[in-house]
Amino acid sequence: MIVSRRTFLLGTAGLGLAAAIGPAQAEIDPARATAFIEAAGRDLVAQLNSTSGTVAQRRERVAAVLRRAIDIEGTGRFILGRYWRQASEAEQRQYLQLFDEIIIRNLSARFGEYQGVRFTVGRTQQRSEEDVLVTTQVDRPNSASFALDWRVAEVGGQPKVVDVIAEGTSMRLTTRSEYSSVIQRNGGQVGALLSAMQQQITQLASREGR
Amino acid sequence: MRSRHALALATFIALSACATRPDPADPDAVAEFEQNNDPLEPANRVSYAVHDAIDQAVLEPAARGYRYVVPEPVRLSIRNVLANLRTPVVLLNDLLQGEGERARITLGRFMVNSTLGIAGILDVSEDWGVPGHVEDFGQTLAVWGVGEGPFLFIPILGPSNPRDLAGTAVDFASDPLTYFGQGAVVDALSLTRTGLTVLDVREGLIATVTPVREGSLDPYATFRSGYRQRRNAAIRNQDAQRGQAQSTGTGVSRGLGLSVPLR
Repeated sequence: MIVSRRTFLLGTAGLGLAAAIGPAQAEIDPARATAFIEAAGRDLVAQLNSTSGTVAQRRERVAAVLRRAIDIEGTGRFILGRYWRQASEAEQRQYLQLFDEIIIRNLSARFGEYQGVRFTVGRTQQRSEEDVLVTTQVDRPNSASFALDWRVAEVGGQPKVVDVIAEGTSMRLTTRSEYSSVIQRNGGQVGALLSAMQQQITQLASREGR
Repeated sequence: MRSRHALALATFIALSACATRPDPADPDAVAEFEQNNDPLEPANRVSYAVHDAIDQAVLEPAARGYRYVVPEPVRLSIRNVLANLRTPVVLLNDLLQGEGERARITLGRFMVNSTLGIAGILDVSEDWGVPGHVEDFGQTLAVWGVGEGPFLFIPILGPSNPRDLAGTAVDFASDPLTYFGQGAVVDALSLTRTGLTVLDVREGLIATVTPVREGSLDPYATFRSGYRQRRNAAIRNQDAQRGQAQSTGTGVSRGLGLSVPLR
């Protein structure tokens, strides 16, 4: 009786925790995650290497691949961390929109540097029940090859990228540190981060096509 | 009387250099404060500003000049030689961490690269599928269970902490080349090695530092987070299997702690 009650309590606590973490993530099959990264990577590389159309058209094609592959909302919420709850609904919406645009423009501002990019998928490791790490190596002409690891989780029944780890540095953790520092240094105002992000987008846009 | 004033002033500066702890009633803020591990943040930010100014005025232009003047194959050879010269320190730390297999790799690479690789100019071992790795005494201390202590940003050396700083000093002291010979020629060689190490590390960091400096909304916070993540990965030996000159112990210490594309 006591045991079953304890199990029940633990179970409820676990459920609560899962709910607090975010959209429920199911267990993910490593083979599926690898196949997903292979396909998404192939699409992305194909778009990066195709030079047809204007920069804006190319950006839209890259954006479509990224939006399919990345859990932008989940990652964005993780990065904003405790400030997500402090933000108003309008701020949350604007934040996710800006975050989405920054991810895309970070690539589109560097189209030139990614010309001729290639990637190879390495091994896949199960990191926890919910996520799998797929390692890849990215090669660009005339520049050092580097390791990019993709953390993949099942989100809403689809495998999605939830973090990118470049040579041991998680983009999710680094950006979280960056954003929270901006908010903190501006008196805890989420609005300050939003205007900084807006400025960053303007800057990235001005570099596009150069 | 005067010394007492000086003491009071020093205390005041030291205290005002500390970040204020958040209100204990806000557990999220406290958790974040502890996770950042940066109680000296105001002082560290000043150091970062000083570092950044020196870097933009001297180190980065020097590294760009080095990249411009010296052709890539030569830079690669220099990187290989510097990595080979670091073998004793890496080997010692492999052994101190009880990593027998890694120590054997370090020693084997040294013997092959110093002979067939012509004094370390060619990384023959890597071509044979035995890539190198780095170790330093800061990592050894971590393996022994020593905590990192508060985050520190030191001009020119870059991001660090008391543990890694002590490690850097021990690495320097335990390098046999520090004590090898004397006279003008030896001094000149050792100066050349230090100078090339700084150029090599900073050149390798161009691809990392420039995007952060231009793109991050708060470069200091990005470098801080990146350094601690990279160090933790290196301590667990999860670093990419080819860390050559990246951890040099002198000059731009462990660089700026973010990814260092090698080769």
